[in-house]
Amino acid sequence: MTALLRLDNVSQTFNRGGLLSGQRIDAVKNVSFALAEDRSEIFALIGESGAGKTTLSRMVLGMQRPSSGTLEFEGRAIPTAPGAARRNFMAKVQPIFQNPFEAFNPLKKIDRFLFLTAQRFGGAARGAAADLAVDAALERVGLLLAEIRGRFPHELSGGQLQRVAIARALVSKPHLIVADEPVSMVDASLRMSIVNLFARLRDEMRISIIYITHDLATAYTISDRLLIMQNGAVVEAGDARAVLSAPKHPYSRALRDAVLTLDSIGLFAAKRTSNRVTEDRDVK
Amino acid sequence: MNTAVLQVEDLRAYFRTRYFGVKREVRAVDGVTFEVRADEIYGLAGESSSGKTTLVKAIAGLVKPPLQLVDGAARFSFLPGVRTLATASPDVVRAVRWSRLSYIMQGSMSVLNPLRRIRSTFDDFARDHIAGSAAEFERAVLSHLGKVRLDSSVLDAYPHELSGGMRQRVTIALATICNPQFVIADEPTTALDVIVQREVLGMIRQLQQEIGSSVLFVTHDLGVHAALTDRLGIMYGGRLVEEAPTAQLLREPRHPYTRHLIASLPRIGTQERRDGLPGGPPNLADPATGCRFHPRCPIAMDVCRTVAPDLRPSGDDHRVACHAEGAGP
Repeated sequence: MTALLRLDNVSQTFNRGGLLSGQRIDAVKNVSFALAEDRSEIFALIGESGAGKTTLSRMVLGMQRPSSGTLEFEGRAIPTAPGAARRNFMAKVQPIFQNPFEAFNPLKKIDRFLFLTAQRFGGAARGAAADLAVDAALERVGLLLAEIRGRFPHELSGGQLQRVAIARALVSKPHLIVADEPVSMVDASLRMSIVNLFARLRDEMRISIIYITHDLATAYTISDRLLIMQNGAVVEAGDARAVLSAPKHPYSRALRDAVLTLDSIGLFAAKRTSNRVTEDRDVK
Repeated sequence: MNTAVLQVEDLRAYFRTRYFGVKREVRAVDGVTFEVRADEIYGLAGESSSGKTTLVKAIAGLVKPPLQLVDGAARFSFLPGVRTLATASPDVVRAVRWSRLSYIMQGSMSVLNPLRRIRSTFDDFARDHIAGSAAEFERAVLSHLGKVRLDSSVLDAYPHELSGGMRQRVTIALATICNPQFVIADEPTTALDVIVQREVLGMIRQLQQEIGSSVLFVTHDLGVHAALTDRLGIMYGGRLVEEAPTAQLLREPRHPYTRHLIASLPRIGTQERRDGLPGGPPNLADPATGCRFHPRCPIAMDVCRTVAPDLRPSGDDHRVACHAEGAGP
């Protein structure tokens, strides 16, 4: 069986500093996982900052070659050099980035990005066919081309921009979307509408999504499987609900227990055991 | 009843620009009234562009064009007779800045001077406010750093050599070294991951207790508010829409925006579907008439489209700005 995506012992090391005084940093250490071709799923990558989540996603997108190990997409090695194979791969694997305000050039109209993607990867050159492809993608995320056409990024809210970014990724009819912290810059009141949108893409369009996040609550809600990373290595992986309900590794347990929720009321409440009088405060 | 350390009355701060004869006015803070009492952590929550940061800037007197203080007052108990810090004389501001009122900012990387060692940064911020010799000052700094569990080695480090959590602990130590009566913390833990965040929040409470200061704590993360703050105000579209003791507000929210915000939060352990709020955040350059929440409100009535509701007491220590709450206008 060929997998949609297969990572086999993938590692990435960076060198920091000079030739003699430099040190080697293992950003990603021996990561292996596979996404099945016949079953679309949301696969969450979880870990603190510096855990190697983004480096891993850059390798999946073919933006960076691994130091060792192999990455395969639909049975073939992920192409990193420009060319027809790379273009074909980019049409099938699309990224969504963290900050929608930085993802779009503020000086260009926003529909331009959608049409460029349609032109390069969607097979629709110009005119009515391109309009149709873009409109169909926007409709998926609950927007209309008429709303977007001619607008600049600053005219849209963060939630709208992130939905445009998702629509742009959909234009080329991808099989896999790599979303790097897609909701961390979106307001709490809109966060769930983006997250629910991912679930709809998985169920209705059969798109698999690699969902990179440090927000365990949304990962629990929508993802099917997850991978918890620490210092570049995988510490725990498996079914999302099972892992988060009963984490086994001490790090995953610490991560789960550190999440502050509405139930954390009074966790750091003032300890008013001593009858403090505010007047006799010792002010320097 | 606790006495108020900060009293904000009908504060209005607008961004006003004028280019080529075209005037634009963004009403970022539009009539906010609340107080922060002695020895409490007051939380401010709300989505981005709800005016949280503009409000704390106006309170701290950091008002520079295009931001203008249009109306209202923000009085500190330690500055009797001064209406706002923004309009006070430079001498008055210098006397209280950092020694009585300090500020923990969001990006610890951009607060600390990247070209100066942490030791020099402490000199820059606090040397003027602490009497004694240089050696005594260093001892005070070291003992204070101990409270946020940092040792003397950080004094010789440059900011880039420290991790995000250590840098944020340095800024907290910086802000509290003069034992200020009032500390403003604007999203101090947002850039940190959950494990470090928990540690830093515990330190903020511990220091607040030791110094006995009041803290105005701003973050959009309701989980953080639940864990740390004593009272909580919810901002929407430049206004305070609800205020109550934190536990009470989170358990029994009264404003439809707060209710929706709390209901939309995903939780570990429940699988039920959570929905986002329909519509987008308000455009403060052209705010909706009446209640600013009415275009997104599930229970909007006719009166909501024309009359802006005041923040009215509703029960014990609870204030709500909603026409549907209690008696009508």
